Amino acid sequence: MKRLLILTVLAAAPSRTAGAQDTAVIVGTVADTLGQPLRGTVRADGGGRPVVADGRGHYRLGVPAGRVILHVTHIGFRPIVDTVTVAAGDSLERNYLLPAAAVELQPTIVTAAKRSQLLDRAVTSVALVSDTDLAHRAVATVDEAVNRAPGVLFLNGQVNIRGSSGFVEGLGSRVLLLVDGVPANQGDRGGIDWDMVPLAQVERVEVVKGAGSSLYGSSAFGGVVNLITHEIPVGWHGRVRATGGAYANPPADAWRFRDYTGGLGGLDVTGSYGTEAVRGSLTLGGRHSDGYREQDRSDQWETAGKAEWLPQPGTRVMASGAWTSHQYEVFPTWCVPGACDTRGQAFQPFMIDRSGRGSYTRSNKGYFAATLDRTPSARFAWQARGSWLRTHFTDFNPDDWSVSNRLGAELRGVRRGSGGDDRVVTFGLEGAHSDVTSDIFGDRGQVGDHSQVELAAYGEAEQLVGPARLTAGTRLDYFSVDGAKQTAVLSPRIGAVLPTGAGTWRASAGRGFRAPTLAERFVTTRAFGFDVVSNPNLDPETAWSFEVGNALPLASWGRLDGALFWTEARRLLEPTFVLVPPDTVPKIQIRNVSRARLRGLDASLTITPFASPLSASVAYTFVDARDLATDSLLAFRPKHLLTLAADYRWRALSVGGDFRYTSRIDRIELEPVFGGDPRVSAKVLDLRAGWQRGSLSARLLVTNALNYIYNLVPRTLEPVRTASVVLTWTY
Amino acid sequence: MIAPMRSRVACAALVAAALACNEGLQPNTCPGICGTVTFRGALPDSTQAVYVVAYHTFPRSRDSLFTFQPPVTLLRALPLDGAPAFYALPVDNGRYEWVAAVWVKQGFNLANADSTLREAGYYRDPADPAQPGVVNVNAQQPDSIDFVIDFGQMHPPCRYYNPPCP
Repeated sequence: MKRLLILTVLAAAPSRTAGAQDTAVIVGTVADTLGQPLRGTVRADGGGRPVVADGRGHYRLGVPAGRVILHVTHIGFRPIVDTVTVAAGDSLERNYLLPAAAVELQPTIVTAAKRSQLLDRAVTSVALVSDTDLAHRAVATVDEAVNRAPGVLFLNGQVNIRGSSGFVEGLGSRVLLLVDGVPANQGDRGGIDWDMVPLAQVERVEVVKGAGSSLYGSSAFGGVVNLITHEIPVGWHGRVRATGGAYANPPADAWRFRDYTGGLGGLDVTGSYGTEAVRGSLTLGGRHSDGYREQDRSDQWETAGKAEWLPQPGTRVMASGAWTSHQYEVFPTWCVPGACDTRGQAFQPFMIDRSGRGSYTRSNKGYFAATLDRTPSARFAWQARGSWLRTHFTDFNPDDWSVSNRLGAELRGVRRGSGGDDRVVTFGLEGAHSDVTSDIFGDRGQVGDHSQVELAAYGEAEQLVGPARLTAGTRLDYFSVDGAKQTAVLSPRIGAVLPTGAGTWRASAGRGFRAPTLAERFVTTRAFGFDVVSNPNLDPETAWSFEVGNALPLASWGRLDGALFWTEARRLLEPTFVLVPPDTVPKIQIRNVSRARLRGLDASLTITPFASPLSASVAYTFVDARDLATDSLLAFRPKHLLTLAADYRWRALSVGGDFRYTSRIDRIELEPVFGGDPRVSAKVLDLRAGWQRGSLSARLLVTNALNYIYNLVPRTLEPVRTASVVLTWTY
Repeated sequence: MIAPMRSRVACAALVAAALACNEGLQPNTCPGICGTVTFRGALPDSTQAVYVVAYHTFPRSRDSLFTFQPPVTLLRALPLDGAPAFYALPVDNGRYEWVAAVWVKQGFNLANADSTLREAGYYRDPADPAQPGVVNVNAQQPDSIDFVIDFGQMHPPCRYYNPPCP
């Protein structure tokens, strides 16, 4: 009786819609099947604001008169769709009982469309490395975290997504790195300093696969990696993490190169304080490693900070930055007979070529970024940002140095239609200025100064058409090098997402491009015993990238995701041997030489049974990468990449492991120099165990547990078995 | 609860171990022809470098002098500190009639090769040390191809031409 009275009062309450002749009111309750009230959301198709039931489960929704489709949802419960017919000026009572369901929350991503969206609404494939993954694996560096993402392969620090980059000694990356959406590729070489951001700052990683130039411009040729840093919670919080470990000795006596066991260790401390209006965090850390090879020691000091000011609802001002100083000995290549005493061996993978003895590098790098986010209404939000990235390296033997800056700015808007996410338009302007001063960027050892200006405008719209979401957009980039060489590139993209009973289908076609870096244009140095000469007249490399994929939830226990991809690339920038008379010895020069086709399959199965202590995943990537100009395989693209992972929890304990198989690299660059070297496939098993109680946790990690000895790039040994213990205290 | 966990972990470890067993890089992998050279005689002051090279067919003319393996870019100069030196030639499978050490004089170029290159020793037939030894490189590792480099007994390449130089 009391309930009926409340509903009657609710229905009779004056409202904007109830009194109108063309509207009606629906009232009722939302509860679970046991009758417990739920603060469920009720909305009608065709626009209008949804309402949320109150603490007693009561709701009241104004709707247009006539036939109305209602959606009733609540997290953790199966949604209900109801169709009712209601006359103008009338009111109707509808009560809903939602059955409980094991619901996997759809992850929200921010990179694929340059705004927040649900994972299943992205038109391209996106791989996620969650905070749970990072905690389980207790990795120490950002590249170790990204390297575990399905379809991603690191070749001596150079990231490959679906075989995009290959390996060009850090000269130019076909993957764009973002830190909280701010571009962070080096201003001079275009590569990525993975040690610039302490892992302690990173909450999760999003890896967007395929060309992303329609929103991000140059470098997003093969994909985008976005490091999302931790949100700062209210109150005092802290974390101390200590790491200690040891490298396995070489498995053969003939390879022993030191009479002690190499170790590694590190300590990082993070503290934060936040109120509703002001928040800040600071991380300090340091690491030392003896390395697993001869001349492989490194020391690193790092700091990072973040501050937020939230002066009013819908406004956020954020400043963040990081600075890292990394000193490391350089292991140029392993030695072969004639280059050191190989002790009768055909090669010595743990020992360096004599010519590289004494080489080391001091690399300082950092960034500062400031953003202003405003959400003036539910339908419009904008962001303005500025950033400064600086890298400074000094090499010893050979003695080289370089200082580079990259200043960036962006103004971005996101406008939503009256139906919420039914129509979304993202648009913006972006600019960057990169400069470099270096003794390897000038003629014949002279100090050279060069700069590049990039300006861009972009826009992308997403529209709900029936059940499908259609996306179309483009970006225009303009480049100027040293105020002279000018280039403009247009990068359109179209895409569609279609939810069906057989999973969510996605398809996209987009253009990717990468402008030559200042290093590719101007660097003059020596590599592998050959002179490297400049080529200021390089053009951007371009590609068309196509993808069709499907994401299929498997009841409440898993998710299957598969995609076919196809990329047609033109004018690829590749190192080339050139012989210009009267020279008698060839030189290396970057040239727009190759047409290439990269096609393949990307598939993953994630198993996370509801309330089960076991989770597992399988990911497989097949890449067929061909150089169409020479009708040969593209260098440094392994065909098969398989990753298996499993974790099991039992009370405070957990165990897990990863296994990664990378097929033998069939072709390498500089085949005349390194073609005779042995190459094998990579089969790496990582094991882990953990214990957590309250604020304390301890993890034991054994990477490359089988001490499998292999290399991916010429004469560069990949890490041997490394055992480490990570102790973490969190407040 | 523990028993099933153990069996699952054991199975996973076994599968991974089976997939990963062996086949990584192994010590002493010879990429083609390998061996140790020992040195005799005094190293000439005009030495630029000494290399070991291999010929599929014996070079009987100036035209065939540069048909050696491996390619120039893969050549590695031998250490010349007097101690025996291990060498490894990354060459393709096949039959090699001559594995020789080549002494290179300072100032070498392609035009003056006859006067700036010298044969400084070669692998000899174990059955007839007066003759060059033939080396067959195949999937199985060949025996160690050891020989002596004698800086006191070096010969110009034309000595082996047909007809030989005077």
